[in-house]
Amino acid sequence: MADDKKSGLALIGIGPGKVSSMTLEAVELARHADVRLYEAYTALWSEEALQELEQEIGSIQRVMRPTIEQPEDLLEMAKSQLVAVLVVGDPMQATTHIDLQLRAEHVGIPVHVVHGISITTLVPGATGVSNYKFGRSTTLTYPYGDWIATSPLEVMVQNYSQKLHTLVLFDLDPSGAGTGDQRPMQAPDAAESIAKMVAKYKQMELTPEQTEIVEEIDALEVVLCSDLGTDDQRLQTTTIENLGTKGSGRLNCMVLLANLSEIEREAVNRWK
Amino acid sequence: MGRKEDNIKKATVVMHILPQIRNLCIAAHIDHGKTTLSDNLIAGAGMMSSDLAGAARVLDFDEQESARGITINAASASMVHAVEGTDYLINLIDTPGHVDFGGDVTRAMRAVDGCFILACAVEGPMPQTETVVRQALKEKVKPVLFINKVDRLINELQVTPEDMLKRFEETIAKVNRLIKQFAPEEFKKSWQVSVMDGTVAFGSAYHNWGITIPYMKKSGVSMTQIFEYCNNEDQKTLASKAPVHEVLLDMAVTKLPGPVQAQPYRIPNIWTGDLDSTIGKAMVSCDPDAELAMMITKIWMDPHAGEVAVGRIYSGSISQGESVYAIGASKPERVQQVSMMVGGDRITVPKVVAGNIAALTGIRSAAAGVTLSRDKDFTPFEAIRHYSDPVVTVAVEPKSMKDLPKFIDALRSLAKSDASLKVTTNQETGEALLAGMGELHLEITVYRIEEEQNIKVSVSPPIVVYREGLQGSNRGRAFEGKSPNRHNRFFFEVEPLTPEVVEALRSGEFKEGTVRPNDGKEVGNKFGALGMDKDLMRKIYAINGTNVLVNDTKGIQGLHETRELIIEAFNEVCVKGPIADEPVQGMFVRLTDAKLHEDAIHRGPAQTIPAVRNGLKGAMMRAKTIILEPMQKAFVSVPNDWLGQVTREVTNRRGIIEDMPSEGEVTTVIGVLPIAETFGFSNDIRAASQGRAVWNTENLGFEMVPPQLFDKVVAQIRTRKGLKPEPNSESYYSD
Ligand SMILES: Nc1nc2c(ncn2[C@@H]2O[C@H](COP(=O)(O)OP(=O)(O)O)[C@@H](O)[C@H]2O)c(=O)[nH]1
Ligand SMILES: [Mg+2]
Repeated sequence: MADDKKSGLALIGIGPGKVSSMTLEAVELARHADVRLYEAYTALWSEEALQELEQEIGSIQRVMRPTIEQPEDLLEMAKSQLVAVLVVGDPMQATTHIDLQLRAEHVGIPVHVVHGISITTLVPGATGVSNYKFGRSTTLTYPYGDWIATSPLEVMVQNYSQKLHTLVLFDLDPSGAGTGDQRPMQAPDAAESIAKMVAKYKQMELTPEQTEIVEEIDALEVVLCSDLGTDDQRLQTTTIENLGTKGSGRLNCMVLLANLSEIEREAVNRWK
Repeated sequence: MGRKEDNIKKATVVMHILPQIRNLCIAAHIDHGKTTLSDNLIAGAGMMSSDLAGAARVLDFDEQESARGITINAASASMVHAVEGTDYLINLIDTPGHVDFGGDVTRAMRAVDGCFILACAVEGPMPQTETVVRQALKEKVKPVLFINKVDRLINELQVTPEDMLKRFEETIAKVNRLIKQFAPEEFKKSWQVSVMDGTVAFGSAYHNWGITIPYMKKSGVSMTQIFEYCNNEDQKTLASKAPVHEVLLDMAVTKLPGPVQAQPYRIPNIWTGDLDSTIGKAMVSCDPDAELAMMITKIWMDPHAGEVAVGRIYSGSISQGESVYAIGASKPERVQQVSMMVGGDRITVPKVVAGNIAALTGIRSAAAGVTLSRDKDFTPFEAIRHYSDPVVTVAVEPKSMKDLPKFIDALRSLAKSDASLKVTTNQETGEALLAGMGELHLEITVYRIEEEQNIKVSVSPPIVVYREGLQGSNRGRAFEGKSPNRHNRFFFEVEPLTPEVVEALRSGEFKEGTVRPNDGKEVGNKFGALGMDKDLMRKIYAINGTNVLVNDTKGIQGLHETRELIIEAFNEVCVKGPIADEPVQGMFVRLTDAKLHEDAIHRGPAQTIPAVRNGLKGAMMRAKTIILEPMQKAFVSVPNDWLGQVTREVTNRRGIIEDMPSEGEVTTVIGVLPIAETFGFSNDIRAASQGRAVWNTENLGFEMVPPQLFDKVVAQIRTRKGLKPEPNSESYYSD
């Protein structure tokens, strides 16, 4: 099946963190590709898992954000060879590659997409909260000096006021430039980021409802999810107030819970 | 009670008896002995500060050498001296030993009523003597003459008594010619000095003796005896018979006017207000019971009390705890301490009255030249000055690393006492960047470090600060700046602000920095009053220098979150423009549109800041930019014989002569010239006038560099900064 593809771009989802949860198609196509680029800036596999992956599909080359976002070279290569871009999770989920796909197609380069297990499917399943009750997802950012983006908090507040859960991903790039030196956010970093956002958010013009939510934000419940889909997977139900005291894993995210049904309540209580 | 303590007590009493006060200074060419004489007057009068008293008691040469220079560092020193049983308070004011930059010398002259012209017996009066004397006479300060270093005439040059008298006559004649030439009409005659009148003294400051005709009569010391003592190397005995401080302070008391005598003719000369007003009359009569009028002559950094403002009181009194206006400041300030400078010590007193020199703490708005009064609208002695931005920078470092702590202290106090000086120090390397108003200003600052603080320094060649500005606008042709990930785009249009708006920004009518959204309405209305669109200006983001950024977009999701990042990039460009990394001035920036990624993670600082930076720089290149250079107005006053040489120095430097008013034998050349061309001007003007020019400068702000020089100037700035010679083109910023 992979043999008929001689050139072009293959956007391959490699799932959450181990070879055994990749699809057969993903493994075969990756193995077949002339060049394998592992996109290392939105999420990360562990070093051992990456070694195992290389044994399975051949050597991989790590690439950072500029290669993908300014893809002239990559597209040029894809005209004569099959270039596989290996994306943690699913290539069209949390971090979409639609931009890259459209650009390639625009210049007549065939694009093959292979899906993988995404954090967006793992989270509802692992925590036990209903996937149809999620609002927009967001990513907590690192502060930059005194500055911090407040929109993640705005998204959380908006979802909460509409009785929707929020999938909150954690940044792993303190520089924000996507060029290396990643440091995946840990629970204390997330707590600090939220505290800074709250302080700034309170100075904005808020509706009474927004004010009410943000005043009580410490008491809101979250499920902290670490290394989902790997052998080290760990879940902890806590409050925003206590988030900073929790140990976390290599890669983390959390769900801000809103308006739990009885069954959801029982499910998340398992991680208290 | 020791002699010093006794004297301090007397000083606080005599201060109130106006006829018994003398305010004076010493006018001298460098190395003629001003410091030596000051120290010996103070020490001789029993005013050496306590920690120096041991060294000063015997005043042996070595000890004297080590003690010298310490006593008068503090701008003024007072001493008590008795003549025929009456105590007099003598306030000796230090005059800066450099050209009159920013009016320092004039100001010191305005605080005194009399001066000692100090001339070396060997060299005679020198051009600098002439210059200082001219300044004193212009301010109606009465001179007497002291011919110093007479010991050298006798011992080194071995002159005969006849020769010596001939030399004295020559010096006296020279000084009298100066007085005739430069003194105000009414004093040209009466201020002539002569041996017979006792307005000429001679002696040796170093060996502590001096003599006048009256003192010869009083002490019985004759000319023959003086030669004998010198030849026998027994000047000590001579000093005990005719101590220099006795002789000179006697001369000051009997021959120089006190404030009550002097203020009637001095006040009309230094104050432009109404002389028939109550305060005018009070000043003319030096009335201690009237309202306060005081002029600050110098800010001095006291190691303990911090900033001390020293000045002359012309009427009324100033007391501890009262509130006064530093004219020009909006609020009155409380006087924390009032003191007199007695010897080298600052002695706190409850109040100081008219006719005296007072030192104050607590008046933070005080600066050299500032007038203090209880009346907010009092006519100041000097026009209130607005400090403009520094335009020239030099790097300075101590020659010896052991001076580093002292050097850093010296810079700190200089920066505090001189508002027009900006100092940035690198604590580790000891290198400091001094930014000031011109070469002359920085030269004087370096002089102060070297001469007053005794720290030898090395100085880099001066560098001019340029500005970047806009010649046109890119209205309707917005420039798009893209983020590295291409998901964020910012569109900018830039144009020059009107001169009225620039002036308002420069004069500090608007608060610089980020404008809080809540303040937008008020700030917008203020811009509206200056002819701008007030509805647009209400959406102002920030002001940086004379540049303004507004948000001219509508309804862009997430823009509020990037607001601060946009401002940060704007600030960056304002400080380092696209042409030569120089500050930008007078630019109006509108953000006309923006496209942002939906997720905060993709529109963070690493994306937004470069996008805005490129957008702004590209917009400026599209609008067409210019380089502006700082200009300076120079006022060079010079005796007519040297006029031609001076005008040539100005015109040779791309300068334009604006006016040449003349007053008697002196003409003032008023010229406008680019600061870049003024380096070396100090030296050249000094050489061209053989040291006789007195000059002053005033900064005029920035003017466009002539187009034919644009490329050259830009290349030169960029090369100095390690950049490639040509600036990046517009297309560079759209990639
Ligand atoms: N022989 C001699 N040397 C003197 C006399 N007065 C000052 N000096 C020396 O002249 C030099 C300059 O004196 P200084 O007081 O620093 O002069 P200033 O530059 O006017 O302050 C020093 O070395 C003094 O010791 C004097 O009366 N006789
Ligand atoms: Mg000196």
